[in-house]
Amino acid sequence: MEEYYLICEDSLEGIFTGIYDAYLKKKPHGQIHLSLGEDENYRLFAAYESCQPDEQKAARVAATIIREFGKETYLAICRALASEKPDKGEAVYKTVVTGLSMKDKRDIMGNLANPYIHRVFELARFTANEAHYHVEFLRFKELENKILYASMGPKNNVITFIVPHFADRLPLENFVIHDEVRNIFALHPARRDWYLVSGEEKDWRTEHTFSEGEKMYSELFSSFFHTIAIKERNNYGLQRNMLPIRYRRYMTEFQENSSI
Amino acid sequence: MEKDLMIHGKENMPLMEKLKILADAAKYDVSCSSSGVGRRGDGTGIGNTLSAGICHSFGADGRCISLLKILFTNECIYDCKYCINRKSNDVPRATFTPDEICELTIQFYRRNYIEGLFLSSGIVYSPTYTMELIYEAVHKLRTLYRFQGYIHVKAIPGADPQLIQRLGLLADRMSVNLELPTAEGLKRLAPNKHRKNILSPMRQIQQGITQNKNEIVVYKHAPSFVPAGQSTQMIVGATQESDYQVMMVAENLYKKFELKRVYYSAFVNVNQDRELPALPGGPPLLREHRLYQADWLLRFYGFEAGELLSEQKPNFNVLLDPKADWALRHLELFPVEINRADYRMILRVPGIGVKSAQRIVRARRNGNLNFEDLKRIGVTLKRALYFITCNGKMMYPTKMDEDYITRNLIDRKEKLPFDRDGMTYKQLSLFDDSEECLWKNII
Ligand code: SF4
Repeated sequence: MEEYYLICEDSLEGIFTGIYDAYLKKKPHGQIHLSLGEDENYRLFAAYESCQPDEQKAARVAATIIREFGKETYLAICRALASEKPDKGEAVYKTVVTGLSMKDKRDIMGNLANPYIHRVFELARFTANEAHYHVEFLRFKELENKILYASMGPKNNVITFIVPHFADRLPLENFVIHDEVRNIFALHPARRDWYLVSGEEKDWRTEHTFSEGEKMYSELFSSFFHTIAIKERNNYGLQRNMLPIRYRRYMTEFQENSSI
Repeated sequence: MEKDLMIHGKENMPLMEKLKILADAAKYDVSCSSSGVGRRGDGTGIGNTLSAGICHSFGADGRCISLLKILFTNECIYDCKYCINRKSNDVPRATFTPDEICELTIQFYRRNYIEGLFLSSGIVYSPTYTMELIYEAVHKLRTLYRFQGYIHVKAIPGADPQLIQRLGLLADRMSVNLELPTAEGLKRLAPNKHRKNILSPMRQIQQGITQNKNEIVVYKHAPSFVPAGQSTQMIVGATQESDYQVMMVAENLYKKFELKRVYYSAFVNVNQDRELPALPGGPPLLREHRLYQADWLLRFYGFEAGELLSEQKPNFNVLLDPKADWALRHLELFPVEINRADYRMILRVPGIGVKSAQRIVRARRNGNLNFEDLKRIGVTLKRALYFITCNGKMMYPTKMDEDYITRNLIDRKEKLPFDRDGMTYKQLSLFDDSEECLWKNII
């Protein structure tokens, strides 16, 4: 039995296109797999094909997902596809296949006994958790020109899930969020919509001079942070569980010289 | 004139020093939650709120830092024996100006350090006078600074009810501290406070909330009154009450005063007062933890205080969480069949949290679940296995014997004794739903 591997670009569009092409094959879905980029261990009896991301194909898959499974599930799938894990394409593809054969399609994500659906659920949760961590722990610093600037280093591609939160709460601020891993920037001009640009287009990092207030407020907050803990209750283990070490290098209160 | 002196006497103290003094003085208030109200920004100011609340940092004690928790002033005319700010203590005193409070809140908020402000105060001159100061600061923050994030303020017992009413229209959450579980304890340790004075603003806020909900039904844009509800806290371990008494008080507060949250604060002996227990082992943190677990059972698991404890068994088991403890005393109800038992019963199984229970009920619609499925769903099987069957079978053949199961439930790496630093609350949080981060929601 021949196995087909469709190699997709690692993006929403790329993977949705892959799903579209998988259906075009008109072969049993058990024989078709989505994979991202090149597979290191080539299988001898498998056929490899690469899919070109196609906006229209992707849009049709997205529309089907929303129509059949509802917006919530669509969002969960988007989160799963923002994951860093390479099996996400396959999991989403097989989830769509399983879901379309279910009686109650709207309840697809409740079907956790299915391993693919469970995997999508799990990947979506990883992304959601990490996005939430950034909503909690992201720190802005004020630049000389009053722009608020934040850097982060997320494992999953969370930026589009967190910017709306900050845009809603800081509508009158100019702010920038930089994903250092992917080198993408979210830019929010005061009173206007935010947008993404990739790092090649604009290098903001060269422009860092912090405002005067920045030094003062970062010191005030660091001092507050240390003061508010009750020493009779010290519990570094608990602190580590709640605030994983890897976020700390971006956080004002954990930076030695908190302003510069 | 005299009043002015009292408040503005130390105005030229540097902000850094004030913040240190007034955060240090506020830290024993345990509530730091920013939950209970979801409100989007309206585009004209700064801030919004999320109904689940957001923690922004975690201090060395592992407690969540969500709000800028400060006192307006740590001057106080009262002399509560357990309080660091009491009149008879010789500690540095400081007082903020309303503008300082507003600036700190806004500047911290913009940088995503905090979700908002928690403002409490020592009592200067009189409760009403103190409330006026708080009102002035909060009013300024809401109107002049257009702050739409979270605000939690203390209602000071004995203050003019009109002021409480007005403040309630600006704040998201209000709280009046019960301080101690019983009136006798209060009388002994906080001689200037009276139970009645504490309960009456609590009642007023409750009624205000109810009335406001009705108004909002009629006039959609009626301003909201304390939309995130009210909370309170009591100190445990400073007086002699049993866990049973504490839980009965909490249950009453939930039922009769419709509180959103009751906080329990393990007594920290800051004053070494002769009237107070010395606590050589540090604050009673494990006891506090058990109380929080039980509190969750009341709020989310459908338990009543009387099911967990009684006059005959007035204190929680040190070795077992209250849910496992309850299950072991009711082995006749187990094992339950996962594919058929109703939601409320599944919720009572040790090793199954609220989210897992919901997922089970949802997932079993697509066919019978087995143990592998339960594991995927997030059930902690090593705890649940004594209490459940899947399709009529237990996971392993197991004796339904109290001692045997107890030994197995305790004998894990989470083994006590409780170590203040090495052991984490997460390991100890025995509700076992991996998603349910107990402490995040508690503090
Ligand atoms: S009223 Fe009592 S508890 Fe409150 S600050 Fe004054 S002394 Fe402390």
